[in-house]
Amino acid sequence: MALLEVRDLTVQFETEDGIVRAVDGVSYSVDSGRSLGIVGESGSGKSVSNLSVLGLTRGTHTRFGGEVIFEGRDLLGMPDEELREVRGEEIAMIFQDPLSSLHPFYRVGDQLVEAVRAHHDVTKRAARDRAVEMLQLVGIPEPRSRVDAYPHEFSGGMRQRAMIAMALINSPKLLIADEPTTALDVTVQAQILELIERLQAETGTAVIMITHDLGVVAEMTHEIGVMYAGRIVERAPTSELFAAPQHPYTWGLLRSIPRLDSPRDEELVPIEGRPPSLITRPSGCAFHPRCPFVREAHTRIDPRLEPVNGKVDHEVACLLSSQTRRDLWQHLAAGEAPDRARAAVPMGDIAE
Amino acid sequence: MTRYIVRRLLGMVLLLILVSAVTFLIFNVFPSADPALLRAGRQPTAESIARIREDLGLDRALPVQFGDYIYNVFVHQDFGRSYINNTNVLDQIRQNLPATISLTIGGVLIWMFFGLSVGIISAVKHRTVFDRATIGLSLVAISAPVYWLGLVALYLFAPDFGVFGLGFLGGQGSYTPFSNDPVKWLQSLVLPWCVLATAFAAVYARLLRGSLLDVLNEDYIRTARAKGLSERRVILRHGVRSAITPVVTILGLDIGILLGGAILTETVFNIPGIGRLAYDAILRGDLPIVQGTVLFGAFFIIIMNLIVDILYAFLDPRVRY
Amino acid sequence: MSRSLWKTLLALVAAVAVLALGACGGDDDESSDQGGTPAQSAGGGNVTEKLFAGTAAENRANPTKGGKKGGTFTILSAGDVDYMDPGKTYYSYAIGVQQAINRGLYGYLPGDTSKPVADLAEGDPEIAEDGKTVTVKIKKGATFSKPVSREITSKDFKYAIERAFTSNVSNGYAGIYFRDLVGAPKEPGKYKEIPGIETPDDNTIVFKLTKGTGAALAGALSMPISVPVPKEFAQKYDKESPSTYGEGHAVYSGPYMVESDASGKATGYVAGKSIHLIRNPDYKNVDDFRPAYFDEIKILAGNEDNSVATRRILSGESMGTGDIEPPASQLKRLLQSNKPELSAVPGGGWRMIALNTSIPPFDDINVRKAVIAGFNRNAARQQRGGEALGPIAQHFIPPGMAGFDESNGINGWADQEDWMANPAGDRKLSAEYFKKAGMASGKYEGDAQLLIVGDGAEPDKSVSQITEQQLNEMGFKTKLRLVERSTMFTKFCGVPKEKVNVCPSVGWLQDFADPQTMIDPTFNGDNILQVGNNNWPQLNVPAVNEKINQSKLVVDPAERAKAWADANHAVVDQAPAIPYMWDYQAIIASPNVRGVQNGYSTWWDLNFSSLR
Repeated sequence: MALLEVRDLTVQFETEDGIVRAVDGVSYSVDSGRSLGIVGESGSGKSVSNLSVLGLTRGTHTRFGGEVIFEGRDLLGMPDEELREVRGEEIAMIFQDPLSSLHPFYRVGDQLVEAVRAHHDVTKRAARDRAVEMLQLVGIPEPRSRVDAYPHEFSGGMRQRAMIAMALINSPKLLIADEPTTALDVTVQAQILELIERLQAETGTAVIMITHDLGVVAEMTHEIGVMYAGRIVERAPTSELFAAPQHPYTWGLLRSIPRLDSPRDEELVPIEGRPPSLITRPSGCAFHPRCPFVREAHTRIDPRLEPVNGKVDHEVACLLSSQTRRDLWQHLAAGEAPDRARAAVPMGDIAE
Repeated sequence: MTRYIVRRLLGMVLLLILVSAVTFLIFNVFPSADPALLRAGRQPTAESIARIREDLGLDRALPVQFGDYIYNVFVHQDFGRSYINNTNVLDQIRQNLPATISLTIGGVLIWMFFGLSVGIISAVKHRTVFDRATIGLSLVAISAPVYWLGLVALYLFAPDFGVFGLGFLGGQGSYTPFSNDPVKWLQSLVLPWCVLATAFAAVYARLLRGSLLDVLNEDYIRTARAKGLSERRVILRHGVRSAITPVVTILGLDIGILLGGAILTETVFNIPGIGRLAYDAILRGDLPIVQGTVLFGAFFIIIMNLIVDILYAFLDPRVRY
Repeated sequence: MSRSLWKTLLALVAAVAVLALGACGGDDDESSDQGGTPAQSAGGGNVTEKLFAGTAAENRANPTKGGKKGGTFTILSAGDVDYMDPGKTYYSYAIGVQQAINRGLYGYLPGDTSKPVADLAEGDPEIAEDGKTVTVKIKKGATFSKPVSREITSKDFKYAIERAFTSNVSNGYAGIYFRDLVGAPKEPGKYKEIPGIETPDDNTIVFKLTKGTGAALAGALSMPISVPVPKEFAQKYDKESPSTYGEGHAVYSGPYMVESDASGKATGYVAGKSIHLIRNPDYKNVDDFRPAYFDEIKILAGNEDNSVATRRILSGESMGTGDIEPPASQLKRLLQSNKPELSAVPGGGWRMIALNTSIPPFDDINVRKAVIAGFNRNAARQQRGGEALGPIAQHFIPPGMAGFDESNGINGWADQEDWMANPAGDRKLSAEYFKKAGMASGKYEGDAQLLIVGDGAEPDKSVSQITEQQLNEMGFKTKLRLVERSTMFTKFCGVPKEKVNVCPSVGWLQDFADPQTMIDPTFNGDNILQVGNNNWPQLNVPAVNEKINQSKLVVDPAERAKAWADANHAVVDQAPAIPYMWDYQAIIASPNVRGVQNGYSTWWDLNFSSLR
């Protein structure tokens, strides 16, 4: 049984402008000790779906649907007091900006101690020792003195390490990392990712890595889900996704990664257009306004997630036939522009 | 830190001298009652007026009068004598100070208690009926002039003539010092405390509500919840702890101002505090008392400013000297 | 409209409802704070008298009827007494307090105050025909309170008057009424014996004067300056500058005293806050008119808001007003619902709008007459409470005082002086006077801008504004400055140098029952001071000055009344001001109090009032 299984999760916010469908039917799962990457741009629903796992989006104007099963228990319907016992103890979360995510008025050590004592009836002394231990584990030098520092006295990278320490201090079974490296510079990014990878191997914690940057998840995840407009549009094992991506959005993401080995004057290829409104989704396929390969039917029919070529672990939601997609990717991977690729390939949809 | 405090204290002395000079100037430039004439009576002779002027030192040049005054205040702690009844100014102020302090402290405690709790609850129950009701009511409370509020309170609750006369309250003018009779002291101050606290409680409720609403959107609140902390701990220890800093700053200033004399409240309820002393002195052109109360008032404000600044450093570790 | 908007609106409506409910402020009616003392009498069937029929004012006719011994009287006042020293005090409110704790040579019963009655004096003062000698006999057996505890002698009165001339005491009227004593100091200074005060034996005083002004001196003996002061006790306090006798240490001769300790320190007096009077244990009733019913009297200052104080008194027990009046706006209601608690006496003075006769444009008598003729005095009186609070003043001797009837009472000389005839204002007549002044249009045609300085507190503020308005209507350009009352007196209207053209907030109260006190300081050109001036119109007409000065020397009461009525007429003929009211002073007490108002102090007589 999977450690965490999200089934058809929907999260809707009632606002004065209308209902925001932030998450519109999303399913994914993570097994113990494995890591899952969720990739998408802002507004894709990647953060909201994971915050909802921990119940952090609950409110008077939020509506949920579907299930979130963690070790056989449904977290969506769980009452707050019970859910609080899960948070920080069995599932932990770290966030994008460690400076604003740590309370500026309390010492780092005190915040770690607080995390321990929220779930375990131990003395302050014991909790403090555990805090020092964790700081050591995440590679912070002189942990005995650093434990009494304030967050603003740490550097960016060290702060994120401290956050990781705080998240793992109770040995949770699942760590959700929401864009943990986005606010850090590149060299520190690598260090943090490496750290997470190492800790995962050492402690056996499952990891969900949320990011907009495919490059971040390329190394350390086993599986990747690509989200767009509140839905998963492609899901595949990592190596497969990079080798044979099937969704035009994924193609766009891959091509927009700057590569060290590409010519200097080669222009970056962004995806045209902007993320869609989550209140009024485009008709048919949500991606169609930005898709270089849109056809008439795509404006009417909403594609479902379907396995590719019968492979259960690779799913995609696109109306183009899989042959068309394979051909298109070959052209794009060779460096051709989308319109040229389109011109070169005979376009066909999957059978209705 | 000590160097900082010393610098601030020196600055305070200069500021007090400046405030004193401005008061002195205002008094002598703008027309107010001539104290020599008031003392001289209804049908004075020119000679008696001249003599009284000489007695009070009013015939000397203005800078001399002022310089003399400053010297006496700072070197001898002698604030002079009232022009009207010749009482020692410092004694008068000392006599009236406890009433003002009582009024201030009681008021602070009451408005902080109500203001903060209402502010926190409003923020937590953002956009509910409770929240909207408090916004509306606080607007009324803030806009209501203190004097009017005092009169209405007396009209409704005064023990002797109020519509719903509450017998356990002390009536207007019943103030007795704590050392004389603690029970009567308490009774006489309950209504004035409530009137004084009303407007302030509303201000602080809105202040804290706004501040807390902002803070609750911060990332570290999300982290606190993600850690599995109880909601109470999140709101109080993480939310209020951050949101309280602007409140503390303003509180310090308000205390400083009130210690200089809550004139309106003291007048309506006939409490013999510094505010009343200053008001009566102004009407009668009694410069020494006016100067004394102004100096005390300025002193309190400056000191509270300093205390608040130091306190801020304790509250927010990012700001340390 | 969204639900949140509805909710906010509801909150606002509720707020407005609360506002409407609570509005009870009532306007502030400052009581007059001039010194002096009024006398009452049956003064000529006016509206006020009729209105106040059936109120506590009628207790004054039989002040001891129904009096019950016992109880505590609590007085609510706004301000404090000016001084507790009987030699210094010059304020009718404070004099009311003195009436209870001290006996002077002469005093005033609550009822008829047209004439003082003998208090510690034995019989009326004997004034020689030339007015240069006044002899007073003194009762035997009256004593001072502890720690002096001996019989009061003539020397104590002599010292009382002598000390009034010292700079440490600096009495405000000694220099006016006692200055003609042989050997009296010309200016306040160190203590000096005055040879003009002779004490041939312990019970006789003889005053010898250099001028024939003995009648005024005799009248002034009804003021607190004649309260005896023991020299051996007071001297050490009189050495302080200023003297601490009264506020600090004192002894008393009346049925009440300020609560004191064994050394005579007045512990019951807290300056600015309260006065606690208890029965004087050493008091022996030596032919005294004072019944002294209450056991204790507490006088509390600081009650600034007169409508709150009124409410407290009416719904409370054993309380009364001190120096405050019930708000004029509530008077009508009180006249209907609280007759036994309400009392009013003529304030014993007049209110007027002074015109500065020393500078243009009012140096022209025709312009003055034009203004007075056209002025609506009813409107001015309306601001003070209207007809209910007193008749329109037609001259400068108030009802009840000697010389009032001789001045044709309530009508004055309206038939001769046509500009005084119509209190509602006669613009046609006004126009005629302007024409006589050379202004053909019937309105003022000059360039002068009138400086008007008035009291910024109600109701004087409204009177000032009405004055300005009417002057504008008559063609004057004006500039109105409203300032605090004592500032108005001491910095503007009382200072000729300031060249104020119109002072609409002035008035005068008598010092004692003699018309000299109403006319000499206020219209005699010899009394114009550069600072602290009370002759606001700065009237300085030699013929008028002469008449005034002559009247001061008349001794026989009947002739004196006629002489002053003549001087009064001469003043009114000069049209120096617009007199608009002889106002009454209204006061209230709690329902369980049988209040007796004293016509001289104009508030509750502490000696005659009692519980029911």
